[in-house]
Amino acid sequence: MNWLTSYLNLAGAYIKINTKSLLAYRGAFISQMVAMFINDFVWIAFWCLFFTRFPVVKGWGVNDVITLWAIAASGFGLAHMVMGNALMLPGIIMKGELDSWLLYPRAVLPHLLLGRSSASSWGDALFGIVVYAVFVKPDLPHFCLFLALICSVAVLFVGFSVFTGSLAFFMGSADSVSTQLRIAMITFSTYPSPIFQGFVKILLFTLIPAMFVSHLPVSALRHMSMTEALYSFAGALAVLIAGVIMFYTGLGRYESGNLMEMRG
Amino acid sequence: MENAVSVNQLVKNFVLKKRDGLRWSSTQVKAVDGITLAIPKGQSVAFIGPNGAGKSTTIKMLTGILHPTSGDATVLGCIPWKERTRLARRIGVVFGQRSQLWYHLPPRDTFELLSKIYEIKRDLFESRRDMLIERFQLGEFLDTPVRKLSLGQRMRAEVACSLLHGPQVIFLDEPTIGLDVIARQELRDLVREWNQENGVTVFLTSHDAGDIQHVAKRVIVINHGRVVLDDKVSRVRRQYLREKVLSVKYADTPESITLEGVKTLKESGHAFKFEVDTLAVSIERVMTEIMRIGTVVDITIEDPPLEEIIAHIYSAPRVDAGEEEPEEEESEEGAT
Repeated sequence: MNWLTSYLNLAGAYIKINTKSLLAYRGAFISQMVAMFINDFVWIAFWCLFFTRFPVVKGWGVNDVITLWAIAASGFGLAHMVMGNALMLPGIIMKGELDSWLLYPRAVLPHLLLGRSSASSWGDALFGIVVYAVFVKPDLPHFCLFLALICSVAVLFVGFSVFTGSLAFFMGSADSVSTQLRIAMITFSTYPSPIFQGFVKILLFTLIPAMFVSHLPVSALRHMSMTEALYSFAGALAVLIAGVIMFYTGLGRYESGNLMEMRG
Repeated sequence: MENAVSVNQLVKNFVLKKRDGLRWSSTQVKAVDGITLAIPKGQSVAFIGPNGAGKSTTIKMLTGILHPTSGDATVLGCIPWKERTRLARRIGVVFGQRSQLWYHLPPRDTFELLSKIYEIKRDLFESRRDMLIERFQLGEFLDTPVRKLSLGQRMRAEVACSLLHGPQVIFLDEPTIGLDVIARQELRDLVREWNQENGVTVFLTSHDAGDIQHVAKRVIVINHGRVVLDDKVSRVRRQYLREKVLSVKYADTPESITLEGVKTLKESGHAFKFEVDTLAVSIERVMTEIMRIGTVVDITIEDPPLEEIIAHIYSAPRVDAGEEEPEEEESEEGAT
């Protein structure tokens, strides 16, 4: 319990200092946030146009897609607002920048993840909540479940970023692989889940666990199903655990940026 | 005296990967090759060596960043790579080329964050912070964003931050790099004071002979991953100073000096600069001769700069495995 309180205090301190740091360049921060909000909104506009032409896609209507985008965007946003270094992990490992984090009396992974806030993620988080409240107009129980699912999706995204980022311990230069996997995850997370069937569906429940963003949370909200919500949380937790195992397994191989590679 | 740092046969190998066409091959490179040393609590030690000698790798193992390939080490009784978080509360680390200050925020905010990271009680934190602000003269720029500070101010703040949690050992990795003469001197004085007044063990790496001379009492030289010299700074100077330089100013033109082991380096009017080989002739004998040949107005005796000594030690050839390293035997005395 003390451990949890201590890390929540630490998270609070980092959120405060990260926000202060972003606000040091207020104009740049706000413009990045607004740009991301608009970018997400363009996609919603696209889907609205699509659904005026095809009102139902395999049982999904426009509200489902808006819910999906709201969950995915705000989950992704929350993840990297609080733990922005999840996105930078391959670079941090490759450049030997873990050194600084290893010098503090804290568990290196949570501490490292908290060390940065991504400015554009604030736009994602804000967008998701606003769009869900304005377009879907949920009642209080739906909104509460939505907030809980955002946290679940945030955990999932952090876990996935940690897992893919930790490939750098094993592959050296894993920046592009990690980015490609993350893009694949985001892409598959923002399309209606029923369009994926068979092998692809299995893939999206395992290697690229987008179904824990696009399928289970949306279905949980649609049916107010606690079972599906619990499956979402369980999936997110499993991905996080996989990421943590991957990171700490790789950490034993960390060479502080001294792994030399030459072209013969 | 109890040791703050004990290292026994510490070895670290890195894998060097090389691509030859489509094939990859890997070889082991020894960065640290069996270092053994002991540093008593409260001592200030300069750990020096040329680039690639293994200094940073050793520091990284002693601070728990890297796991060694073999060998043992304890810092304040902790095995660094096994008890990293426990040790981190008791040591401070400053990397001259890495900052722990938040670039866009004033140092005050970093102090606040560090108090949460180290879980320092509020009243203790405030008293330590205020004391460090006063000692390191941070008051004038405490609320200025770090990006607007001079390098000297930044490094003062860096060192102060690393002392906030009251460490017993402080590792300084090239702390004066890039600083001007005054900032360098200020930082050296602060570190020396902290060592002498608070009994903090100082483990300093630097390429600057001035840092070693002003901060450290003992010098450990490593090269090719091995300790090649471990002794008191003063003894190193004496031992390696065969030559002394004497600058003498006479009241009028003196007779010429004809002692073996004395070479006239420079002559300008009544001023002379002699180089004396102390193995060939004693300083006492030279001084007597200097006084005899004319009326001396002024005289100074100088050692060659420490840089020259260090360069001499660095240039010593590598000793292969199994061979004795005579310099290490002398370390027993220097280490105490």
